[in-house]
Formats: sequence, structure tokens, C-alpha cells
Amino acid sequence: QNPNTKYTIGEITVAGNTSFSEQTIVTYSGLSKGKEIYIPGEEISNAIKKLWNSKLFNDIEVYVTNIEGNVASLQIRLSDLPQLNELKINGVKKGKQDEIIKENNLNKGVKVTENLITTTKNFLTKKYKKDGFYNTKVHINTIEVKDSLDTQRVNMVLNVDRGEKVKIKDITFNGNEVLEDKKLRASMKSTKKINRLRVWKRSKFIDSAYQADLGHVIDTYKKNGYRDARILSDSLIVNDDKTISLQINVTEGEQYKFGEINFIGNTVYSDLYLKRLLRINKGDVYNSILLQERIADNSKPDAFDITNQYQNNGYLFSSINSVEVNVEDHVIDTEIRISEGKPAYFNNVSVVGNDKTNDHVIYREIRTRPGELYSKANVVRTVRELGQLGFFDAQELSPNFLNPNPVEGSIDMEYSVKETGSSQIELQGGYGGGGFIGTLGLSFNNFSIKDIFKKDAYKPIPMGDGQKLALRLQASQFYQTYSFSFSEPWLGGKKPVQFSASLSHTKQFGQNFQTFEVDKSRSFNITGITFGLAKRLSVPDDFFTLSQAVGYQRYDLNNYNTGLFEFGDGYSNNLSYTVGLSRNNTSVDPIYPTGGSSYSVSAKLTLPYSLFNNVDYEALKIERNENNVIRTDVNSTPTEITDANNRIAEIDQERYKWLEFYKVKFKAEWYTQIAKNLVLRPSTEFGFLGAYNNDRGVIPFERFFVGGDGLGNYSLDGRETIQLRGYPNNSLSGQDGGTIYNKFSLELRYPITLKASAKIFALGFAEAGASYNNFKDYNPFDLNRSAGVGLRIFMPAFGLLGIDFGYGFDPVPGTKTSNGWETHFIIGQQF
Amino acid sequence: CSEYQKTLKAEDISAKFKMGETLYNEGEFNKANALFAQIVPNYRGKPQAEKLMYLYSKSFYEIKDYYVAGYQFERFASSYPKSEKLEEASFLAAKSYYMLSPVYSKDQTETKNAIEKLQDFINAFRESKYVPEANALTKELAVKLEKKAFEIAKQYNTISDFEAAIKSFDNFIFENPGSSYLEEAYYYKLDSAFELAVNSIESKRKTRLEAAKGYYLDFKKDYADSKYQDDVEKMAIEIEEELQNYSSQS
Repeated sequence: QNPNTKYTIGEITVAGNTSFSEQTIVTYSGLSKGKEIYIPGEEISNAIKKLWNSKLFNDIEVYVTNIEGNVASLQIRLSDLPQLNELKINGVKKGKQDEIIKENNLNKGVKVTENLITTTKNFLTKKYKKDGFYNTKVHINTIEVKDSLDTQRVNMVLNVDRGEKVKIKDITFNGNEVLEDKKLRASMKSTKKINRLRVWKRSKFIDSAYQADLGHVIDTYKKNGYRDARILSDSLIVNDDKTISLQINVTEGEQYKFGEINFIGNTVYSDLYLKRLLRINKGDVYNSILLQERIADNSKPDAFDITNQYQNNGYLFSSINSVEVNVEDHVIDTEIRISEGKPAYFNNVSVVGNDKTNDHVIYREIRTRPGELYSKANVVRTVRELGQLGFFDAQELSPNFLNPNPVEGSIDMEYSVKETGSSQIELQGGYGGGGFIGTLGLSFNNFSIKDIFKKDAYKPIPMGDGQKLALRLQASQFYQTYSFSFSEPWLGGKKPVQFSASLSHTKQFGQNFQTFEVDKSRSFNITGITFGLAKRLSVPDDFFTLSQAVGYQRYDLNNYNTGLFEFGDGYSNNLSYTVGLSRNNTSVDPIYPTGGSSYSVSAKLTLPYSLFNNVDYEALKIERNENNVIRTDVNSTPTEITDANNRIAEIDQERYKWLEFYKVKFKAEWYTQIAKNLVLRPSTEFGFLGAYNNDRGVIPFERFFVGGDGLGNYSLDGRETIQLRGYPNNSLSGQDGGTIYNKFSLELRYPITLKASAKIFALGFAEAGASYNNFKDYNPFDLNRSAGVGLRIFMPAFGLLGIDFGYGFDPVPGTKTSNGWETHFIIGQQF
Repeated sequence: CSEYQKTLKAEDISAKFKMGETLYNEGEFNKANALFAQIVPNYRGKPQAEKLMYLYSKSFYEIKDYYVAGYQFERFASSYPKSEKLEEASFLAAKSYYMLSPVYSKDQTETKNAIEKLQDFINAFRESKYVPEANALTKELAVKLEKKAFEIAKQYNTISDFEAAIKSFDNFIFENPGSSYLEEAYYYKLDSAFELAVNSIESKRKTRLEAAKGYYLDFKKDYADSKYQDDVEKMAIEIEEELQNYSSQS
């Protein structure tokens, strides 16, 4: 063969142990009869590569079988890779085996390559080492299956020997004089020695974490001015199967101090201003970690450092470096070199990944707009606010900087979003309350009302305009409730003014006390309608929202006695106006906020009817009290009692014709990340319900009921249930509810998983609260205390589910001993 | 138990192929597809596979599962480069991606992909009878992308962020010089500049009014009889009046 001659391919044959047809293999190889190639040449190696890449064959070779003139006949020799037949895993629990099969794709029929065996082995070794099984050994054997089938198959045996979990018996340091062993050990974040009292972080040895921890030891020295500190050597001593010891030799060097710190290249900010940001003075102990943090703190995206000062004011292309310029007598002179660059402006701003949500819903929330000066803070805030819409997976939102152009000073922004399920469906049926109860609840959080008549939009429901629509129907023999609510966050699409409307109707029937059957001649209807507008403010800052709502509720009694009213036939109207001011900058994930705070203060008012309706409530109050004396007096005759009852009913009808009250509420909560992922949430709330006219009295509606899970289930009287775990529902407020309440709570949260499919976090809480009947009783120190633990699971299709176990330390009113343990189920509540 | 159910459960692959073909010809694409799906692995590498894979791909197309249809047609085209159905399959692959393109206001990754695939088809089969349709589809998708960019820019005008609107329309005009939305874009750019000017603080007012006037003159020149004529003239008068203040002062 002459390497410079082109040959024409004659016949191509296939040999070897394969179940594929000759034609398939030849076609796949890319070689074909009549093709002109060099031998040896690129075409042949490409053919081999192509066949290799199919991951179906082994031992692939191409031979020339015959050459006649310029015609070469080729033969492809190969054999099929064996398929996996049976897999046996030894040394791993049954439950964990599926995971191993899934992670490594060890399904039946998979082609068994060397690569598969090696990666599986590495995967298992790493997996167990990560959990502290330092002595894990993995062996993989394959055994050929011999039977009549012509495909090659093997059985695979995975032998996993995890050995004992290796713990660190001791960590000792040599060569340290200034810093104690204890302090150095504390700076190692993941490598800890055995300590039975520490449940949070168990002792285990993971090499990669250990290497990082050696770095942390040096960082501790650097923070204390020992710039030259080094790890000289470290050794791992195996004590026995279960424990190891670590010996680390360090050299400390001398302590250094800061000398002159000079700024070079700054034109936008003065030296004085930058020094104030730096907060480091000449003569301070030299701390390169602190210096780096003040220049750019990578752990906090919104830190008050020099880099952010530039980044938040358009200087995207700025770079800041510190350089040690002079070292003398352990004093280090530093130069902070700043290259400011041109200020950058946003050019194109785009969104990708919105398969469901329409552009206008997203773009109006974006705070980085074309032509605006670049600001890192605005990028961070946009990500936060897009996450809070609830339409996208907050964990997967990412801002991408595209086409940075330092010469023109421009940058393109692309926000990559991933849609997440935002609709919830509740369908329930069951027996309860003496008959069948059916519930249908639908809630769509990203609805599109303009598309409801478009057939194409139903996939499965019209979505994408960011509107919320909820429908709930519940019916049983004894009652029916219908409710409907709708909200549009940008009314008219011009300004962020949220419009909301809700309608509800409840019908409750009486019960025949002899037959226990439903008595439809007696009924109690409540109909309500509410309209609200909420406007995002720009002053004092744009996290504020001002909301207003007008609500009307009518209670209609038809020969129906309830505990709410003294009269069985009559009505009551509740027309109220609510105004609220709130500020919310919690971030990022609305289900699991890790930072920010939220405050709200609101007032709900009715008209002061008693001022102008010329009813003498004082006289009515006196008369009512007189009648009350009569009806409770044991000496009264039945006729007198009936008359007194009737008169009280008449008076109450007059009092409740139009409800008159005002209600003030305040709520605040804070989120702080105290360690990686561990979030502390303190919160406090307060509420007061009052009357304009004390003779008319505080209404029996709209009251506060403290205690229990805080779920506002089926209620007729506008009551507010306040969560206080560790006590039975509403147990801390008496029959009629309180008119004042306060509550303080401290919650510690830890996420188990924050994936889009399911977010799970555990929490521990301590809280205290109480309700009172008037200001005379009010005592913010006389509280019912409780503490406990719980779990929350959020799945997009089901909403939030949770369980809490709370221990009430104080007795509920009417008992003497502390309340003890209570279990609470939390459904659908977002907080 | 219908004959279809029996065949579906049976082992006889050639009977499945036959019945699938019959059902396919009768327009029962769902049923045919189910039968084909069962036998695809058995026919891999066999001579009948070409026909089967074509019918299989087409049945996905007919049941509007365009995602899989596009993939299967592409696979068909790369597996059987000598097939007489190659041209049709290549076109249907591209058209399947066209079908996946959503409304303009959602993510347009599929649209861009479809344009690319259609263009590839046109490049590969210049003489094909499908080329005019492919061109029409490409054009339609391109207009969709224009509409998207236009509507985004217009929204900045709607939510009164006029500076962002001007910048966005500038970008739009620069990137889509042949767009059918061009006149509207110029109009909204003028409108944004006008609103920005009249709502300005005093120190920026004059320059912004002058900029708006410049945009007005540009618009007049290019679109002498526009449907926005009346609006535009109204703005021009107000700009003139406002500018008078400055000339009389000086």
C-alpha cells in the first residue's frame, strides 16, 4: 500500500461476533462502496471512531482484505459489547440499591463498557467516603452468560465493603505558639474530632473537606496578622478500623501590621470616601482576609464594600486589586489599585425560559431596563422579585451578562427563568357533620382572564397573565359555601396597582332537633363582597405598598339561632374600609425566605353611625342590662323571661343593624441567615378591636382567637385566628374571642431540600402570646408560652403542608397544669 | 375485545405492522402510532425499517405530537439519506419545529430553532416543491420575533418608562431595518420622547424637547401620510409651543 495513493473501496465485509446486520454497520461506519480513500487515512480512523462512539461495539478494527489496482476491499472486524443481564449488589441495603442503579444507569440491557465499570466503582467509593466511610472498598466482577441467545450478555456483581465509619479521635497541631490548638481546631469547619455532645456535625473524615479546612486554619492565622503562616506538613495516622488521628505541623511566622494604604486610579470616589468604606487604619493588625472582604466580600452579594460601590453605580468593568508594595519591620504598605473603566449601560434586556408566562408580566418587574446605568443591586433585586412572583423556580433564576463591551460601555442582560407549577386543585369528598361533604377548590396563580374564551389557550387552563383566580365550592346537607376571588397585579397594565375582588356566599340550614334532619325552613346566610386596590409606593422606598379595600357583608337570619346573635330573625350589615401600609423585602424564595423583613400595619374601619343616627345607645345599654338582670334572675316568671329575651333581641338588632367598629393590626417578621442555610425568623404581631361608642359596645364579630394551628377554617363572623402552637385551637381566647392580642415568636429553620418539585424544611420554634378582653386586662408579660419542632413540605400542586409538635408551658384558661404537647397540621398556610 | 386490542396484545410483529399501516391509511393515527411504537425495536436494521420509521414519524406528526415528530423525522433523514422520502421527511422535521413555536409573548427558543431548521432545509433542497412553503413559514416566524421585540419596547412606553422605551425602539429599528412594525416603532419612539420631554424637570426639558422635535421631523420625512398623522401633528404643535418659552426667554 502506498500512503499517497487514493484507493476506491470495493467490497466491505463485516466479521466478528455481532448481532447487527452487515448493512447497518457499514452504513453507520460512513464507509461505502465506491468511495475514494487513503489507506491508511482519516476516513478509516473516522469510521472506527464513529463505531466506537455508538457505544455498541468492542475491539473495532478495519482491515484491507484485498487490493486490485486501485480497488481495495475492506473488512470491519468488531464484536458487540456485552449487555447487562443481571445485577447483584452485595453490602448495600435493599432500599439504597435502586438509587445506585439509577445514578449509574445499571439497567438491564445496558452495554457494559470498561468506562461503566470504572465510573460505577468511583461513584460508590466517593459516595461512601463522603459519608465518612473512609475504608470503603468496591469490587466489580462481570460473568459471561452462556446460553442459546446470540447476544452477548454478562451478569454483574457489585461487592461493596463500607467498613466501619471512620471518626477522628484527635487533631493535634505542632509549632503553634500564638494560637492554641483549640482555636485552630475550631476554625476547621467540617473536620471535627469525636465529641458525643455535638449532634449537629458528626465527626467524619472527608479528604476534600479536610484540605479545605487546612486552608481555613491558615485563614485564622491571616486574620490575626500572621501573614507568613504555613502548614509545613500533615499526617494521617490510622489508629484502628474506626478511628484516625490527624497531626498538623505549622509555622507561624511574625505578626504584621498595616502601614500606609494608598488608593491609585480612583477618579469617581475620593480617597477619603474609599477609606471610610475600607474601615482599616494604619497600625491595625494586618488581616489580608478582612482587606479582601472590604474590597469585595464574595459571601454577601449586597455587602457594603468598595467593589459594590462601583458595581452599583454603573462601573461594571471596574476592577480593584490590592498589592503589598513595601514590607519593613513587619509593617506592610498596601496599594489599592482601581481600574474604573467606562460606566456601563444596559443595552438589550431579555428573558428566556418563559414557556407559560407572558412577556409583559415579567418585563414590567425587571428593574434593569435598556438605557439604564448598570447596577448590581438592581440585578440582585430583579432576581429576588421575579422569584417572588411565584411563577418561577426561585432556586433556578439566573441573571446572565451577555456581550459585555468595555469600549462602548454596554452590556446585555438575559434573565433565565424556569416555570414552575403554580396552580392548586383541591377535590374532596367525605362524611362529616351528619352527611356527605364535597369540596372543590381551584386556585390558579398565573391565570389569564383574557384568554378564557380562546379554545387554544386551554393547556390545561389559560395561563400567563399573572392573575390569580380562586374558586371554592363546598356543600353538605347543612351548609353550602361558594367563594370566588380574582386579582390582577397591574390594573390596566400601566402602573403596579393591584386590583382584587372577592365574592362569597354561605348558606347554613337549621337542624331538626328531634329527627336530626336538615330543616330548610330555618337558615342563616352570609353574603360578602370585597374590592381592593394596592399600590406600590416609591416613597419612602419602593418596597412599600399602600392598600385599600372596601368590603360589605350581610348576615341574614331566618328563624335561626346562633351564638352570635341574641335574635333569631333579623339581619346585620358590615360595611368596612381597610387601609394598610406594608413593606416587604424578604428574599429570595417566597416559600423559604433567607433574608429581609416584612412589616404591615392596617386599620379596618366602619362609619361612625352612632354619631349621626340619633339612637340613644346609652339608654339602650341601660335597658339591656335591666333586661339581662330579669332573665338571669331565678325569681322571674317564664313570661317575664320571654319578654326580656325579646327585648334584648330587639335592642341587639338595633345595635347590629350596621356594625360599628375599628380594628388596628401590626405585624413584623425578620429573616436572617445565621449560618449557611440556617435561617432565624423572629416575628411579632399585635391587634386591637375597638368601638367608637362605648355604650353601643364592641361587636362580637371580627375578634381575635389565639391558639392552635392558626388556620382560618369555616368561620361566620369575620374572626381572625392567630397561630400559637402548643395549645388547642382558639383555646386562649374564650368563647367570644379577644379584642386585644399580641404574639411574639422565634423560629429557626433548616432546609432539607429546596428543589422545585418539593421544598422541605424543618423548624424549631419558641413563641408566646395572649389575648385580652380590654385594655384593663392587657399585660404584655402575661403570656402563654410554648416551644416545639415541625416540618414543612411545599409541592407546587399541593401547596404547603406541615406538621408541628408544640409543648405549651402554661395552662389554658380554666385549668391548672401546663397544657403539654399538641400536634398541629398546617395546610396551605404560607407562613 | 376488538381486533385492534387483540393485535396490540399479540406477539406477531408483522401483523402489527400490517394493521398499523391499514389504520394509518384510515386516518386512525393514534392507534397506528401505538402499534408502530411496539415494533420499532424489532425492525431496527431490517429493510422494512425505512417504511416503518417514515410511517411512525408521520403518525406523530398527525397526532400533533410535534416534539417527537420533529425528532423522529430528523432521525429518519439521517438514517436513510438515500430514501425517496428524504425530502418530505426533512421538510416535515422542520415544519414540526415550526408547529412548536409558541405565541410571540412567550419564550422563543423554539421559534429560533425552527427558523434554523427551515433554513437548513431550504439550503439542502433548493429545488424542492416545499421551498415556497418553507420560505413562507420562515417569514412568519421572523415576523413573530419582530413583533415580540416591538411589543417589549412598546410596553416600556405603556408603563411610562420612556427612556427605556426610546432605547428599546432604537435597538429595534437598528436590528429590524425591514420590519413591518417600523412605522409604529418610529411613532412610539416619538411618543416616548414627547412624553419624556413634557414630564421632565426644567433642567432637562429643553434638550429633550429638541430631541423630540428631531424625531418628529424624521417621522414626517419617512411617513408623510401616516395613520398617526393627527397624533403626531398634535405633539409637534405642543413641542413648538413649549420651545417658544425658551426662545422668548433668551
